[in-house]
Amino acid sequence: MSLRLAEDIEKFVGRYSIGRDSNPYDTTGSQHFLRIKIPGGVLSSDQFREIALLSSKYGRGFAEITDRQDIQLHWIRAEDSLGIFGVMDKMGFTTDMCGQGFGGAKYGDVRNVVCCPVSGIERNEIFDSYPLAKEITRFFTGNPDFLDLPRKFKISISGCGADCTRAVINDLAFVAVRSEGVTGFTILIGGSVGPSLPGPRLAKPTRIFIEPKEVFDVAVAVVEIHRDYGNRESKAKARFKWLVEAWGLEKFISILENKIGREFPRYDGPVFIRRADHEGVQPQKIEGYWYINIPILGGRLTSSLMIQIADLADKFGNGELRLTPTQNIIIPNVKEDSKKTVLETLAKTGFSMNGSKTRWLSVGCSSDFCGKATDMHAKKMLKDIVEYLEEYFGVETLNDLGLRINVSGCPHDCGASLVSDIGLIGKQIKVNDCLIQVYDIFIGGSTGEKPSLGICIEKNVPAEELKFRVASLITSYIRNRKTGEDIGNFYKKHSNEKLKNSLGIRR
Amino acid sequence: MIKDKLRVEKVSEGLYRLDTRGLVCPYPQLLVIRALNSLSSKDVLEVLIDNPPSVRDIPPILEERGYKVDVIQLDNMTWKMLVRVSK
Repeated sequence: MSLRLAEDIEKFVGRYSIGRDSNPYDTTGSQHFLRIKIPGGVLSSDQFREIALLSSKYGRGFAEITDRQDIQLHWIRAEDSLGIFGVMDKMGFTTDMCGQGFGGAKYGDVRNVVCCPVSGIERNEIFDSYPLAKEITRFFTGNPDFLDLPRKFKISISGCGADCTRAVINDLAFVAVRSEGVTGFTILIGGSVGPSLPGPRLAKPTRIFIEPKEVFDVAVAVVEIHRDYGNRESKAKARFKWLVEAWGLEKFISILENKIGREFPRYDGPVFIRRADHEGVQPQKIEGYWYINIPILGGRLTSSLMIQIADLADKFGNGELRLTPTQNIIIPNVKEDSKKTVLETLAKTGFSMNGSKTRWLSVGCSSDFCGKATDMHAKKMLKDIVEYLEEYFGVETLNDLGLRINVSGCPHDCGASLVSDIGLIGKQIKVNDCLIQVYDIFIGGSTGEKPSLGICIEKNVPAEELKFRVASLITSYIRNRKTGEDIGNFYKKHSNEKLKNSLGIRR
Repeated sequence: MIKDKLRVEKVSEGLYRLDTRGLVCPYPQLLVIRALNSLSSKDVLEVLIDNPPSVRDIPPILEERGYKVDVIQLDNMTWKMLVRVSK
């Protein structure tokens, strides 16, 4: 073995890996993906350009913004990977460790730490949490003590008062709050909407109050609890939610307090105080500066678009970009007098800056690569539905509704469809000896102030009918809702039979 | 620990062993190919592997290069891959 290869492997193991694009239907020809962790979603235009070049050279010119603020490339060949890792190392980025490929409850790692994408610039922010996201990331990256967790571990941290990080679907979520005039954090634990046991769970609020200086220690202590007490007998029971459910909150808090060495004060205030996903164009903390959130809808874009966005950030911002947990990109620090030019340029480039809010709020998974679904795939499905709804209802009506539509290609629910207003979860069924892609429709899921899991109101809807069904569902809601009633509450009060009746196709 | 994984161990005359357990893609594949390049014809490389994606990926890649590959499942999480260098 050459010395160079040995040195490279030694340098990269534990910090870099490529995941497998299973793809038994061979629709894409991709064998591996590269999931680049962008801590807190913050990167420079130069780094974004560099990733665009990697995508151009190795990923057929495509990249995906994920809902954990990563950037994912496909068509990565194992033989090119050390060269790619070398470029990433210079940029200061690492990857997921993709331990889910192993059998058994082992080799889990801490995933990209999700953070409010407008930390430090958002008006009325409670706490700028990005430095904490970076500190937590730095500690866990390549740390041999934390590369063999029972399973992956997801952390989020938000300081804007809204649930833009979707706290309830994380294993550990830090949320900035104010208690009796003092700023600190409360934590939620044990969230995960995937089907692993004990099934989809929203993270539970612990009602404890943590000082900002304790956040790092608490993060480490909670991941240690997962590592040391998590179930290692069964992969299906190895997510942190299983332990949280088995222990209950009281036992968890007691063990955490023992590790930290003090009792935490109780926090009984609200976890979130407003709803915001930082969509569109918003004024920043400093007067005269704006951030512009570009809707990508599904997060997939070409390397040439990436370079154009990076150029805009250089020319009209401060050369910085932020990736959002709903697969969009923010150009921050745009001056008042440049705002119009940036928006016009983005519109000319093809971004729907005047589209509905749903474009900014919705998420679609990468089902065309993972191999657990067939066409019509989640991202394409999402685009098809949103475009149809905009045409059918008009942008103004959709904005009034502010609906989040998340689409997942398979029951693993990578798109977190169970916590969206309208959630579509795909699966394959056999019809006349052919496997066809169908979707189950869930409704009333939400994050934030009143989190809930959606309820399934119809199963096995053929992909080509889905947009018409969703339109019917929204029509029924618009016609019959009471003032101020959200779509979840509206539909949850009806019987399943009535709900099904509202799903008739209206073209 | 990782240094141990990078080493090809001579088990007996003509039989070498590479232990890739605990390594994710792309490392098992890269290590196996590099190890094979350093062996002589008629040598056999025994690879211990516990990463299912690598178990699926590596044999077709080696077979395409003319190697003969036999995969034996040792338990529900470990495989032994026997690669014959002679093409």
